[in-house]
Amino acid sequence: MKLDKRTAIAVALVAAVAAIFLVTGITRARAANTPERYLHVRVDGGSDGDKVNVNVPLALAEKVLPAINHGELHAGKVKVDLKKINTGEVDVKAILEAVRSSPDNEFVTVQQADQDVRVAKSGDNLVIHVRSKGDGGKEKGSDKVDVTVPLSIVDAALKNSADGEIDINAVLRALENTGDNFVVNVKNSEQTVHIWVDGKNDSN
Amino acid sequence: MILAKFGVGFLCVTVTAGSLALSEGLVHVRVYEKRSEGTHLSLVVPGVLAPAAIFCVPSRHLQKASEQLRPWMPAIRAAVEQLKDERDMTFVEVDQAGQHVRVSKSGGSVIVDVDDPDETVHVSTPLRTIGGTLEELGNKSDDQAAAQ
Repeated sequence: MKLDKRTAIAVALVAAVAAIFLVTGITRARAANTPERYLHVRVDGGSDGDKVNVNVPLALAEKVLPAINHGELHAGKVKVDLKKINTGEVDVKAILEAVRSSPDNEFVTVQQADQDVRVAKSGDNLVIHVRSKGDGGKEKGSDKVDVTVPLSIVDAALKNSADGEIDINAVLRALENTGDNFVVNVKNSEQTVHIWVDGKNDSN
Repeated sequence: MILAKFGVGFLCVTVTAGSLALSEGLVHVRVYEKRSEGTHLSLVVPGVLAPAAIFCVPSRHLQKASEQLRPWMPAIRAAVEQLKDERDMTFVEVDQAGQHVRVSKSGGSVIVDVDDPDETVHVSTPLRTIGGTLEELGNKSDDQAAAQ
């Protein structure tokens, strides 16, 4: 059976249109299946009862940040003074690699009269605890900082460190792929700050 | 017959004008003062009027605002575009000294609610109106430069 020229062109056009719809449909379905991630910041103002809740979709931040060129922020990257890293005095990437390949452990413990610092590795996360005491070791004026950061986020942040930049957009992309492990808690006598990432679009 | 044609023409113009007016949604402003005999205001304006109003204001009056806004326009464009795809949610919620402020997205609109001891304010603005209005405002410095 031989198709005439017009029929062949029509069949080719229909096939091309069908292919475009198929590819577009698959792409949309994939995009719809990717769970949205949100960065949450919650500040509780202690005795005054002040409260602030901020919820930012990571996709929104990823789109907006590269469009901001202001101060030290350009194209989703922040210029920072990393002289020691740039001059090779401290090879942060090598240190990170050493931390990653070592078993879970507490790497740094500093105990001072007014402050305790602990840095540990737990799974794929870097865990930092800082406890500072108030005047005379009192509870009043004391600070409590707990940070859990996936190592992949530290990697992403330092990806362009040799150029004296921290790639915020790479951090956001890494946050989208790192479960619910990123947590920062800061607590002092006046307020509590809680920063985390999850798949819910509210802070409750 | 002439009356019928006139009626159809009038209907077409009304429907077209109405569709155009509602194409960018409606801006809703509601102010409720809590004191006795306080103002109770509810204003619903077609969103398309906001950029048109900015267009009608002489450029020299908006030049400073326009220049300040201009560097942020790429970020605003990106934010408005992305917000259209986002689910309805609350972005910011602040409780402070008896005042409650909430900024959220509902449908295609950004909603700001303020509730304090004196009054309640609700402003709902379609995203398309925000984008169009800020674009128009951002262009004002161009108009002023061209005029000079």
